[in-house]
Formats: sequence, C-alpha cells, structure tokens
Amino acid sequence: MAATLTAPTARAARPAPRWFAPLATLTRRRFALTARTPRELFVPLLTPILFALVIAPALAKTVGSFRPGIDYMTFVALATAGLLIPLNTMFSGIGVIVDRESGARRDLLAAPIPRPLLVLGNLAVAFAITALQIVVLIAAAALRGAEFHVTTTGALWFAGGAAFLAVGMYGVAETLANRVPSVEEYIAAVPAIAIVPWFFAGSLFPVSSLPAGLAWIARFLPLTHALALMRYGLLDTNGTGLRDIWGMHDPTVMALLSLAVVAAFAALMVTVSIRVFTRAAVR
Amino acid sequence: MQPVIEVRNLTKTYPGGVEAVKGIDFDVEPGEVFGLLGPNGAGKSTTIGMLTTTIAPTDGEARLAGFDVATEPIAARRVSGVVFQDPVVDRALTGRRNMETHARLWGVDAGRAARRVAELAEPFGLAQLLERPVASYSGGQRRRLEIARALLSDPRVLFLDEPTVGLDPRIRYELLDLIGGLGESGDMTILLTTHYLDEAERLCDRVAIVHEGRIVAMDAPRSLLAGLGREIVELRVHGSGDAALDALRRHGVANGDAFAVGGSLTIPLPDSSSAEVVARIAGLGLATESISTRVPTLDDVYLRLTGSRLDAAA
Repeated sequence: MAATLTAPTARAARPAPRWFAPLATLTRRRFALTARTPRELFVPLLTPILFALVIAPALAKTVGSFRPGIDYMTFVALATAGLLIPLNTMFSGIGVIVDRESGARRDLLAAPIPRPLLVLGNLAVAFAITALQIVVLIAAAALRGAEFHVTTTGALWFAGGAAFLAVGMYGVAETLANRVPSVEEYIAAVPAIAIVPWFFAGSLFPVSSLPAGLAWIARFLPLTHALALMRYGLLDTNGTGLRDIWGMHDPTVMALLSLAVVAAFAALMVTVSIRVFTRAAVR
Repeated sequence: MQPVIEVRNLTKTYPGGVEAVKGIDFDVEPGEVFGLLGPNGAGKSTTIGMLTTTIAPTDGEARLAGFDVATEPIAARRVSGVVFQDPVVDRALTGRRNMETHARLWGVDAGRAARRVAELAEPFGLAQLLERPVASYSGGQRRRLEIARALLSDPRVLFLDEPTVGLDPRIRYELLDLIGGLGESGDMTILLTTHYLDEAERLCDRVAIVHEGRIVAMDAPRSLLAGLGREIVELRVHGSGDAALDALRRHGVANGDAFAVGGSLTIPLPDSSSAEVVARIAGLGLATESISTRVPTLDDVYLRLTGSRLDAAA
C-alpha cells in the first residue's frame, strides 16, 4: 500500500450547504437503507392487503347491511389504511436505532448541517414509502370491489388525513426510537402504539357503538379523526363518522376541525421528535 | 500564528457525576500532529467528542480554526473531519455510497466528490472495494474507508480517535504508514488519540499525556523522553521499592528523577553509564530480583507521572 498522499489543495471556504441539499442527501441515504429491494417495500403490505382483500369482504358478508349508503367492505378497507400508516411509520423507527447502534449516525452528527435535518430526512422516506403503500392498498381494494366515491375535494380530505397521521406517527416513532435502548424494547412497544388505538378509533365499527366512556376516549385519538377524514373523503360523504366525533351538522366544518386535530398532532410530534433526537444525540 | 485548535479549561461531567475531563488546556498549531496519549477511560475520546460537537462540554471552551464549538458548531464542523473509535459506517451501503453521502453533507459538489473519491481510493487500497457493501469489508478495510471518507472534504483539522485499535499488527502498521503520510503533507492539522506508545512516538509532533481526565505532561515525544536520559536501569526488588530507592539516593546512585512503583525502580541515566550504575547497585547488597538496562519509552514517562504503566492501564 502506498504511504504518500496527494496533499489537499484548494482550501477556499466552501459556502454552507443550504438546507435543501443536505436534506436531499439524507433522504437518499435513508431510502437506500430502507428500500434496497422491492421485498422491503412490499412485504409490509401483506397484512393490510390481506385485510382489504379477504377479511373486509368476509366481514361485510357476515355483518351484512351497515349504514345506509356505506358499503361495509369499503369501510373496513379504509380502516386498513389506518392500520398500515401507524405500522409502517413505527417500523421505520427501527432504522433510527440501527443508525445509532451500528450505523453512521455519529458521522452524520459531525456533519456541518442543522441536526433536525437528520430527523426530517428519515421522515421524508417514511412518508414516501407509506404513501406508496396506501396507493397500492386502495388500488387493491378497488380491484376487489370496494366502492370509493372519488372526487377531487374528497381525495384531498383523504390525503390530508392520511398525510398528517403519517407525519405524526413518524414523530412518535422517532421519539420512541431515541428513548429506548434497544430494538427489542422498541419492537415490544410497537403493538401498543400502532395497533391498540386502531381498535378504539372506529376502525371496524363506528365510534358511537363503543361504550360511552371508551367513545369519549376515542374522540381524543388522532387516528379516530384521521379515519373519519379518510372515510369522509372517499366513502362517507355525509360525514356520519365525523358527526360521531363532533356532533355537529356541517360536515365541512367537522372535517376542518378533525384535520386541525391531526395537523396539530403531526406538528407536535415532529417538534417533540426533533427535540428528543437532538438531546439524545449529543451527550 | 493562530492555533488551529484552542482548548481552554474544557470539562465534561456526565450525568451521574462521572468526571471524564477535568479542565484541560492545549493549543495545536497549523500542520501539527498532536497526540492525546493515555489509557482507556482517561478522557481522550470525550475530548474528541467535545471538539467534534458530538458531546456537550460542561465547562470551558474550544475553538477550531477560530470557530467556537459551542456557539458556532456548524462552522466548526465544516472545517473538521473525524474518524471515531468505533465503526461509524452504513454497512448495508457500498463504500462509494458512504463516501458520496459524506461528501455531499460536507458541501463538496458531485464532480469534486467523484474526483476526490478516485484520488483517495488508490492510496487507501479501496479501488477494488468501493462497489461492495461495507458489511463485507474487513476491519482494516473499513477503517481505511473511514479515514478516506474523513479526507474527502479536505478538512483543516482531522480527528483520529484510536485509529488502529482492534486491528491486527500488519494492518495496523499499514495504517500507521498512511497516517504518517497525512502528517508529512503538513497541510492538515491532526489530533489523534491513542494508548499505543509507538504510535504516539512515531506519528506525533507533540503529545499530551492524559491521566484521569487531566493533562499531566505535554511536549514533543523526544523532549519527554529526554527527561529520562539516554538509558534507564530497571530494577525489581523484594519488598518495598521506596526503601530501596531511599538507599540508592543516599549512596548517590539515583537522583531525584528516579522513581519507584511497587517493587519496581526506574533509574534514569542522564550522565552515568549503565555498567557503572549496575555495578554500584550490586555493591550495595540490595535484595534484587532482576536488573536490566534499556532505552526509555513514553511508558516510562507515563509511569513516572502517574504511578501506573500505560499498557497495564489500557
């Protein structure tokens, strides 16, 4: 091996990279680590697609008629989106622990960039992969016979609810990943965070069907609001799910209120996750 | 000339009260290779952590190229590169991908990054490895990749935290050649930590000996060794080394530089010949286990300053 090296030459001060360029670099890095093969993209879809294609139709056949104008199979198919988003974003948090335990995190911390970008780069990839999976899920459900009422406005309500839920849940994932010492502890916590709320958020039945105390609690879950918004957008155009939460008459107002709840959840959790990361990363 | 690294009363106390660094001061001049020498737990890596802004100082201040690491951390990080003690790479990605990511984060444009990767791949023996996932690299290959990666941005200050620890001897000497080559270029200031004496002697222009969070000596290795003379006599006695040392001093065989640790006595010989001193010791009738002569090492300096051997402490 040669021992001599070319001496570094020009040392003109480089301009500081603006935030977009390092964010793009961090996003590309995370994407390369997360989705190296199609298997890594599509295996997480198996359970929700099974739900949408097999369990939802079977439940619809068993339960039969639901609310007037609402197809139960489509109702459950949309509920699977409310399962897929928390599961996918929570599992993205494992990458944060791997980075810390055996990855390049310290090199990234030593980089001349604002450290919140490290969180935002991870968030961008979790968001993009979740969005892709939601599109695949909805397409599969439609092919299986789910009856979506697609309008531009409805699609925006759906996208808004799903997007803010994904951002907020990634904030939860990043926060937890920076608080627990090992992957094992993290994985043990995932069902409690990603799955348990799903049962109380009006996924398989309306919130109003729950006992009064649980229904009251369900109204505080961001997932309840996100699911009601997603259904308002693509299925429940009268906003009966939103009425179960807010008890008002104007669906647009109720949808705006629920969107505000999910948006506030997203903003809060991203802020908390950045703060927890920067405190945990620098000892 | 303005020092590139300025450290004043730098202190780190971890939660729980562990005082890792207890108010250290030093300057490193441009182009200098400066070593922090000490055993594991002496506070060397914590010092590098504070200088690279990955550990928050409890007190004191430090500047890199004039930038305060506490108040101007991004500017301080921009002028530095670091190779950490533990592997810090994305193992699932290729070597090239690891290097490209680093270059982009340090603001090196794509064209220049590609040129620098090509320039560094050959001398670091990475040319045939760059397209392989880092998970398939040996320890030495991975360490070479990390050093090459740190050089991509042409840092003014390069931190090397125990760069050869855990490597087999052959790889270690190859790496020392590489690091020596970096130091000889004279264009970059290098701060390295090590608990290997030969590394410090071979690579460093100056060395700070760190013991329990404090710098106990700081000078060029040659100057530190000069205090012990050209040769030393090492003596092991039955019983207390202090009593034997007193006897040697009373008879003028040892002076104030001699010291005892347990049953071992180290007698620097600035002027006298070793044969003469050994003969005089034999004439005193001390209960000696062994007696030998050798050239002094930094371990003797460390032993005199701290009362323990560096190898044993590490």
